[in-house]
Amino acid sequence: MPDWLEEIDHTADLGYRVTAPSEALLFERAAVGLMRLLTDVAAVEPAEARTVTVTARDRTALLRTWLSELNFLHIHERVLFSAFEVSALTETELTATVRGEPYEASRHDLYTEIKAVTYHGLDVKQVDGTWEAQVIVDM
Amino acid sequence: MATLTKVSDACYEIAPEGGMRVPARVYATEDMLDAIASDKALQQAKNVAHMPGIVGASIAMPDIHWGYGFPIGGVAAFDTETGVISPGGVGYDINCGVRLMGSKLSRGDLDDRLPTLVDRLFSRVPTGVGASGALSVSKETVREVTEKGAQWAVQEGYGSAADVDKIEEHGRVSGANPGHVSDRAISRGTTQLGTLGSGNHFLEVGYVAEIYDEDAAQAMGLFEDQVTVIIHSGSRGFGYQVCDDYLDVMDQAMKRYGIALPDRQLACTPISSDEGQQYLGAMRSAINYAFANRQVMAHNTRRAFEETLETGPRHVGLYTIYEVAHNIAKFETHPVNGRDQEVCVHRKGATRAFGPGHPELPGAYQHIGQPVLIPGDMGRYSYVLTGTATAMQETFGSTCHGAGRRMSRRQAKKEARGRNIAQELEDRGIIVRGESKRTIDEEHSGAYKDVTNVVEACEQAGISKTVAQLRPMGVIKG
Repeated sequence: MPDWLEEIDHTADLGYRVTAPSEALLFERAAVGLMRLLTDVAAVEPAEARTVTVTARDRTALLRTWLSELNFLHIHERVLFSAFEVSALTETELTATVRGEPYEASRHDLYTEIKAVTYHGLDVKQVDGTWEAQVIVDM
Repeated sequence: MATLTKVSDACYEIAPEGGMRVPARVYATEDMLDAIASDKALQQAKNVAHMPGIVGASIAMPDIHWGYGFPIGGVAAFDTETGVISPGGVGYDINCGVRLMGSKLSRGDLDDRLPTLVDRLFSRVPTGVGASGALSVSKETVREVTEKGAQWAVQEGYGSAADVDKIEEHGRVSGANPGHVSDRAISRGTTQLGTLGSGNHFLEVGYVAEIYDEDAAQAMGLFEDQVTVIIHSGSRGFGYQVCDDYLDVMDQAMKRYGIALPDRQLACTPISSDEGQQYLGAMRSAINYAFANRQVMAHNTRRAFEETLETGPRHVGLYTIYEVAHNIAKFETHPVNGRDQEVCVHRKGATRAFGPGHPELPGAYQHIGQPVLIPGDMGRYSYVLTGTATAMQETFGSTCHGAGRRMSRRQAKKEARGRNIAQELEDRGIIVRGESKRTIDEEHSGAYKDVTNVVEACEQAGISKTVAQLRPMGVIKG
């Protein structure tokens, strides 16, 4: 596990904490954290790229919307992602290039289904120059 | 830990403090309290007590545990004029629930065919991550399903009217409005009817191990050694999406109604608000979707039995005993401060448990009260209970819903490391088929509290009565 990612215990669900030197990187790493709950990210080829844009009413909601969008695409289109590059970011809008490939049972081990990314305990903040976020998902 | 005042041997109360509008009340025995207080569930029960229009108390069942926003195992009722409706108070899996089926078969009738039966169930009832494929329908059909519920499934040949009679709300709530459901939710609904899903959802073939209440058991057709089936699932991606969509709608609207709460996940708006009414229309669509989903699975379960035993429905005789919802919000009439009042009851990880004589109950159960099904873990046992008059007086006609987790999923996985949980269960005569080893590891018996303590606490508090214990023989998991 990278030193910027920490799984946290929650009785019924799963969560993680992520840190980064910049806000854009925090959103990218949060996406990696989400994917790591679903699969072995190292086995996902960043073969196909797509652009994802999400909007929300504040920074915390933006993180939830971003992660929810990735989970929706994963479930609805049966794809997995392994690389994320945020190209534009404000408090209320994010655009990123995400790379991944279609899920294939022979090569990808799917651990679980994430019902949703919750607002519970969700937090995005900057402490002493480091960006931090906590995410709890419903399993 | 908050100061708990003993109300009775199985009921404790936290008096209102700060912004709490009502007390928080926990149904549990003294020796369960330490475990309950070990996570943030009691704080969450107190948070719910802050919500506008809440009446009576913010109630926690003995299986309460830390959820997101609302605790899991919580009941909260709101005044229809001054109260709120909250997607987080229902949960993502809207109308997650349990169907219990009895049969004409005894345990011995399955003999060495049990593994084949479990395999067939595993192929007939798709499980697991994003499971799809039991049947694929158009968006137009999904909209029809959301209005008709289990009755749609029966109309399409999945089961019969006798099933529908034994489902909470007769398998269909009115007031569903697919016009308030996003296209995303409808899309997710096209491929998931008849699918179990992952996490704690399961389908279990079991048998009646013990009967405690002969009269109630007889009314339900239960007899010792009888083969039973439990189906635990909900509204799948359709419901998750509805909840997700409306959390944002309400999060955004809440300020306009002057509502401020300790946790954003509690987002809510007044019941009478546009957002509240739209959520109700969408939530009821998801309720009906879940009723249809379980009805299709029940039908496919019957087919798996008939194929395995190479016989017809009459010989197997799989019939619906009852089906309950445990993540839901509904308008019901209950006593508040000594007067009957219509309230909006949110049950999140709690089961409706109407007492004897309630007009909602089918004729066969009028004298015993509503059957309630409490699944335990996959290695031990589950229970059949009935609702009581005390539940009607004290808990808005509600009781517990399950064992409640003892370990986080991470802890459970850690504990299962180096073990073969499926093999351990098989050695004890329980066949388990799961989509992933990880799910089985996360869901092993030790990860859960002993459900016996939970149902005993409810019985001691008088909010439900224990009828029978079921033990598992075969389980399919996501």
